[in-house]
Amino acid sequence: MNSTNSKLTYSYYPGCSLHASGKEYDISTRGLFKALKIGLKEVPDWLCCGATPAHNVDELLSLSLCAKNLSLADEVKGDLAVACAACFSRLKTTQHRLADNPEKRKQVEHAIAGSVPEKKVKHLLEILAKDYGLEQLQEAVQKPLSGLKVACYYGCLLTRPPEVPELDCTEAPTIMERVIGATGAETVAWSHRLECCGANFTLSRPGVVLKLSGDILASAKAAGADCLMVACPLCHGNLDIRQKEIEEATGTRYNMPVFYMTQLLALAAGVPAAKLGFDSMMVSPLPLLKEKNLL
Amino acid sequence: MKHTKMTLSTETMNLDFVRKVESLSGSSVRRCFQCGKCTAGCPMRSFMEHPPNRIMRLLQLGQWERILAGRSIWYCASCETCSTRCPNKVDLAAIMDALRKLSWDANGPSKESYVQLANRLFIENIKTYGRQYEMRLGAVFNVKSGQFLKDLLLGPKLLSRGKLKMFHSKNKNITEIENIFNRIEEMRKTVL
Repeated sequence: MNSTNSKLTYSYYPGCSLHASGKEYDISTRGLFKALKIGLKEVPDWLCCGATPAHNVDELLSLSLCAKNLSLADEVKGDLAVACAACFSRLKTTQHRLADNPEKRKQVEHAIAGSVPEKKVKHLLEILAKDYGLEQLQEAVQKPLSGLKVACYYGCLLTRPPEVPELDCTEAPTIMERVIGATGAETVAWSHRLECCGANFTLSRPGVVLKLSGDILASAKAAGADCLMVACPLCHGNLDIRQKEIEEATGTRYNMPVFYMTQLLALAAGVPAAKLGFDSMMVSPLPLLKEKNLL
Repeated sequence: MKHTKMTLSTETMNLDFVRKVESLSGSSVRRCFQCGKCTAGCPMRSFMEHPPNRIMRLLQLGQWERILAGRSIWYCASCETCSTRCPNKVDLAAIMDALRKLSWDANGPSKESYVQLANRLFIENIKTYGRQYEMRLGAVFNVKSGQFLKDLLLGPKLLSRGKLKMFHSKNKNITEIENIFNRIEEMRKTVL
């Protein structure tokens, strides 16, 4: 065991989706971190970050929910690891808004009846690419994903707006390609990697999702990708769960498995496929993985 | 409304509304010089009758009724592309948040506000459970929006894959969460 690895330890905010519709993301994150010997401890009693609905309705509520989470997370050792791109964006936005607005900070601190700690918030991608490091990640690969053509899908909130997530370049990020590239997978160049999937319109206006996510699938297919890779349970819901409807609406057959990035990374790191939630995906990735000799 | 002639006068231009938007969003409305970059990158523009740059122009002219009467603000996905690309640092995504809030305050639910209904139920879930209860969110949304059969076939598929939970337990610290809601409510009455 590498001694530097064991020093990495994080508090973990899974977010609501990872306990329900996006449970594969949670399972594979835990599996991956265990395989890489990175410590991960879930923040007890964390609450919903409010996602888009809270800031749509009431900014103070949105900031207060996130501030409460930051203060709960402060009880657990290590920087805060966040898997969901939307939760990550809300937590970082809160820190960004409160940093230069003492008036707002006062209101938020009154709302949560406590102070907002300076907790470092990091997306899993950042932890893997920067803290753990790509070289080490490459060394941890037991089953190279060579031959698998992956379309890395960033969506909106991982990189936008530039001053909030500070994860990578806003208009031309490469962090997902670099991370999955370390496993030997091939990444494709495609047009729609930063376009919106329709996000939470999935409940209120599914027609929007069929159009936007349909365009994303079409673009990935045109670029010759075998599969999509995402880092957000909302994107996954739209691209995987609604894929059949998209196929019916557009008359195009995609059959494009949509992986959470941690599923592919954990598979490469030697975590047994049975522990990665592949059977929970609506578009089964098993035929593809068999074809590429990855099972 | 959409096709009527626009007359600019002190009667039709509501500049108080503009000031409210600026204060809620923390972003300047006047800085927009109509380059159209926001609209060029907006994934939702084809669903809107007023694309983002036109919303900005109408706002500059104090034409609040035209903005609130339409569906455009309810079709903003909060993807932040406009705010990211604006060369003049107008935070259009924050302005859209402010417009939705003002619309809700002024008119309550509109025919275009399925989005706001979903928002409200989402927030109710936080207040009741502490976290999202996706099954309830979907079911109550269908009942309240009158689309009883929406996604009917999707539910069982999700359930069988363990992606929806039939039952949901409350967070242990639910009283603390309720207190946050209550304190914000109190603040609304006094300082906000």
